[in-house]
Amino acid sequence: MKIKTSYNNIINYKKYLKVTEAVTNYLNQSGYLRIELPVLSPSLIPESYLEVFKTEFKYLDKKENLYLTPSPELFLKRLLAYGVGDCYYLGKSFRNSDPLATLHSYEFTMLEFYKLGVDYMGIADEVLKMLQYVSNQVESQKSLTAQAGKFKSESQNLKITYQDKTISFEKWEKITVAEAFKKYADISEKELFDQQMFLTKAQKKGYRIDGFSYGDVWSQIYTIEIEPHLGNKGYATLIYDYPKEFAALAKLNKDGKTAQRFEFYIRGVELGDCYTELTDWKEQEKRFKEEDRLRNKSRKTAHPIDNEYIEALKYGLGHCSGIAIGMERLGMIFADVVSIDRLKLINIIN
Amino acid sequence: MKTNAGNLKKGEFVNHLGEVWQVQKADFYSPGKGSALMKAKIKNLISGKNIDYAYKSNEQVDVLDVQSVEMQYLYKDNENLYLMDERSYNQFSLPIAIVGDVCKFFKEGDRMYVYLHDDKPLSLRPPMSVKLKIVEAEDAAKGDTVSGAKKPVKLETGAMVMVPIFVKVGETISINPETGEYTGRV
Repeated sequence: MKIKTSYNNIINYKKYLKVTEAVTNYLNQSGYLRIELPVLSPSLIPESYLEVFKTEFKYLDKKENLYLTPSPELFLKRLLAYGVGDCYYLGKSFRNSDPLATLHSYEFTMLEFYKLGVDYMGIADEVLKMLQYVSNQVESQKSLTAQAGKFKSESQNLKITYQDKTISFEKWEKITVAEAFKKYADISEKELFDQQMFLTKAQKKGYRIDGFSYGDVWSQIYTIEIEPHLGNKGYATLIYDYPKEFAALAKLNKDGKTAQRFEFYIRGVELGDCYTELTDWKEQEKRFKEEDRLRNKSRKTAHPIDNEYIEALKYGLGHCSGIAIGMERLGMIFADVVSIDRLKLINIIN
Repeated sequence: MKTNAGNLKKGEFVNHLGEVWQVQKADFYSPGKGSALMKAKIKNLISGKNIDYAYKSNEQVDVLDVQSVEMQYLYKDNENLYLMDERSYNQFSLPIAIVGDVCKFFKEGDRMYVYLHDDKPLSLRPPMSVKLKIVEAEDAAKGDTVSGAKKPVKLETGAMVMVPIFVKVGETISINPETGEYTGRV
């Protein structure tokens, strides 16, 4: 890899800064406390699909393993249990084995915020208000320049143009995962939730299923057949209620098949991932063990499990929900570019 | 040769559902649910059709062994392009549907690399730049001083391209055949 100076991106970079500034203004004004956090931790939450960066702290003859945090979740949830209230982190997160790609990098800027007393749909309302605020801030700057100083007050700028299409933040386009599979991939609800039926259907569609899990094939079909339709009808799309296999740290719905998780998309680009937080420590402990088992099976870097996180849950995490948003991806939408490297002044390239 | 889909690169040829496809684009993608993927745009080398496909990044993909051989472009008819290997004098044909619009910029004698698999041509790599003469162009209108203004001109191969207004009939210009962009006067 090498360092590339991309000074040509200065305009995009400034747009990205405006987006982060608007986001922090919105959250500060809405009563969220900004939390600064370590990026190196001695233990982590086990997540089966994430590879981590490992490093070593050395002092005299003492050595200790440290890991770059793939998300701020483990720290923020602790603080929530301690009563910090609505809060957010805006900073770097690290994911090893994510090569440099259009929408990926092994280090990226993540916004993660939590709100007490609401479920995932409460966060959906908050994110929509935040997008309206950001759009208004960023877009009014644009019209200010366009009108050579003429101040355009009061008027709301709830629309942006991304890749020649208008996206309005007046409302969400909402669709459940089951509805989307029916509509775009012709996979019925019954087939979606029955792993064997799902794999049989996938094979009929031409996907390779030999040696692959439900999760593998599911994400393949989701990526090819569902995602391109999301956020393509003039509004950002909120797709929700994922099969419980993708529950991660989310609370399950009463149907027992789906988790209270949503993601939102603009023009096929996933921007955020939200769930109603699982507060049942026994269930969490069970999922941790399963995730850790899967990590070992796929020979991912072993790391100590953050068991104090379970202790914090035992102490009591109130009903709350949280969302993680990829800031570079959000910036990309407002800067109207199609890859995250176009926002950066310094890129590490292959 | 089998390889992990995570290693796929633009330009490689793969066997997919029993047919040969060329990778136009390959981009790592992790949906955050289930396994990571390699999102690819692949072109069918029989129909010329492009499709989007996402391989599981640990899925084994059959990448074809290909040789790239420098050949001379001879001519084309309604369906095919004809090229010759100058060392063996063997002639090969490739469907225009596969090569695409880029062949509008090829002139007899141009050299380019043809990809062969089991001695059968799969596709070609167009030259980075071609030099072509302008055969028809309008004179720039007087007073037309907008900077960056362009006009359409016809090249000796019949292709139309946009060039800066100061370029005249009879001049030879260089073109990037993949994009059809004017890159300068020769």
